[in-house]
Amino acid sequence: MSLARRLAASVREDVVNAATAPARAYDHALYTIEGMRTGDVDPLEVAKTVLITLGALAVVSIMLYPIYYVFIAALQGEGATLYSPGSDLFVPSEPTLEAFLWVIGDLAISSYRIAVTIPATGYDIVVQTPAIEILDVSDYGVERTSNFPLYLKNSLYVAAVTVTVGMALVVPGAYVLSRRRFVGRMKVLYGYVLFTQIGGGLGIAALIALYLIFVNMGWTNSRFMLGLYYAAVAVPFNTWLLKTYMDSIPVSYEEAAIMDGASPARVAWEVVLPLAKPGLATILIFIFLAGWTEFVIANLMLEQQYHTLPVGLYALIGDYTIPWGRFSAFALCFAFPIVLVYLFAQRYIESGLSFGGMEG
Amino acid sequence: MSAISGAVQRSRNRYEAAVPETVQQWIDRNGSLLLVAPGLFAFSTFMLFPLVFTLFISFTDATSATIFQGSQDFATVEIFGLSLPFGNYVELYADPQFWTSFGITWLFVATSVGLKVGLGVFIAMILTGDRVRGKRWMRAIVIIPLGLPGIFTITVWSGIFSSARFGLMNRFLSTFGLGPVNWLQGDRWMAFLSYNVTEMWLAYPFMVIITVSALQAVPKELHDAAKVDGAGFLHRFWHVTVPAIKRPVLFAAILTAAASFQQFLIPFIFNQGGPNRNNELIILYGYKEAFQQYQYGYGAAIMLTAVFFIGIFMWINVKKGRLAEGVDGE
Repeated sequence: MSLARRLAASVREDVVNAATAPARAYDHALYTIEGMRTGDVDPLEVAKTVLITLGALAVVSIMLYPIYYVFIAALQGEGATLYSPGSDLFVPSEPTLEAFLWVIGDLAISSYRIAVTIPATGYDIVVQTPAIEILDVSDYGVERTSNFPLYLKNSLYVAAVTVTVGMALVVPGAYVLSRRRFVGRMKVLYGYVLFTQIGGGLGIAALIALYLIFVNMGWTNSRFMLGLYYAAVAVPFNTWLLKTYMDSIPVSYEEAAIMDGASPARVAWEVVLPLAKPGLATILIFIFLAGWTEFVIANLMLEQQYHTLPVGLYALIGDYTIPWGRFSAFALCFAFPIVLVYLFAQRYIESGLSFGGMEG
Repeated sequence: MSAISGAVQRSRNRYEAAVPETVQQWIDRNGSLLLVAPGLFAFSTFMLFPLVFTLFISFTDATSATIFQGSQDFATVEIFGLSLPFGNYVELYADPQFWTSFGITWLFVATSVGLKVGLGVFIAMILTGDRVRGKRWMRAIVIIPLGLPGIFTITVWSGIFSSARFGLMNRFLSTFGLGPVNWLQGDRWMAFLSYNVTEMWLAYPFMVIITVSALQAVPKELHDAAKVDGAGFLHRFWHVTVPAIKRPVLFAAILTAAASFQQFLIPFIFNQGGPNRNNELIILYGYKEAFQQYQYGYGAAIMLTAVFFIGIFMWINVKKGRLAEGVDGE
């Protein structure tokens, strides 16, 4: 809980900082103008600074323009296509949420029949829940909707497996790698780091064999096995990351607990893990993202009804009847939550990312 | 309660009686291995074992018709009168398509790394400049692309490079009076250029982060001293800045070169390595041979050739980089 509170505090601090930035800049500008009037500040120097800052701002804007463009296109719905000059480049002239409605589709909780048999009496209790319709997009003129909800469900299924299995594999390993000495420890660490830094493409290189194994075992179309695969591949990086984080926790806490007579298991559970919460949060995000954003293997292994979100996104670009606006909205619904999580967790991620050699 | 603890004690006694003392000591010392083992096992099952299996497949003539029946055979070739299972490799290295793919892959590594390093250092220099106001804020937002999923970025850029007249890149060109370009299916070098631009955009945040932290480590006194001595901007850049950031940037360049070499998603999503199979980067080449031509053995040989070069990257990384730092955790 304290982690959530601390996160909230740091987010609040960031927001306040960002919100007061214009005011501070304004004060600064007033001060500079005053200086120019009294002759303390050279106007030429000020002009140089302003010009160079504007130049830097222009470079940043150009780099980020593609992201902005996706937002703009999404807000134009069917108006934004690649085949007519209709779409706007900077400000949408007729903003509409039609494209997002097309992505989300109808929101409704369908009616469920819940039957409970009371033991030893023979009576059944049957409850029929009412169907609740929250949003019917056809009210807004959207007839056929996307497959986003189906893909989202598949992605969530895979991610649940990935996160559960991944955490179970990573946390104990990271703990002993940080706190115990044993044979082969350095070799394991070395291998993990090497794979992390260079081996991103090995997964695709091993894809042929992996595919044949999956087919032979009958694991294609199994979202569970896919989740397991993502968890396994996420092990090296996240074990390393969590181990690095745990290294930064002073050993004296554990020594104190041992002096008080705590068993090794209790030391790990009640001392180290609570102190490692930020690290745990970071690897949780990374393990989640490993499966959430993976495309190649999901595309190869799964049939259409099991497709995850990245595969669904890929399928859209081949479909020329899809307007660019709808594609953008789909892409944003997929990527935007990730960016938000990433931005909020950035501090933790950066504090966890102190690799050897990465800091320069 | 006592019954349970009694049972535990009995099994403990039996264990101590049955297992030799030296083994017991080894287990006491290295029992923590048990907690690393599950992760290691899972990783090996899904990554190392398939790699070894790929090696086996690359020696066979496995196709979709044979492998699932287990009726594949070794793809043998006569070398010095011996029948050796290197058939796929001999065929592969005589295939002009392989050399096209191999050449374009290394060209892509060279051009994209040059662009990534250039752009990364350029942006990092701007965002650490003395006269730039609000640079911390700009640094925070300029690395946003790092948080975007690769599949998102690449699908969006494939739309930007649409050959349609009102695709974003064509609209941009038309403001200079240049006609619409058929980016992905027309000229091979236009497609190659679009790969480079996308790869550059994918990787620049990483380069910016590393270069900025390297630039911030350069003592300000050095610049001031050079200024006093009358050194101009270029002179200071070359003799003060470059030596200071050379090592970290070189290290980042090695990592990012390995990433370029293994690039798969960009050509796959843009145009399947087209036009006319001219831009099939090596991993995509192997993928297509296996999953579009169903030549699993041949594809595996391509993949292992790529793995060999990835191995070289790893070796350079170990030798030149600072990989080992921090493994011991101080």
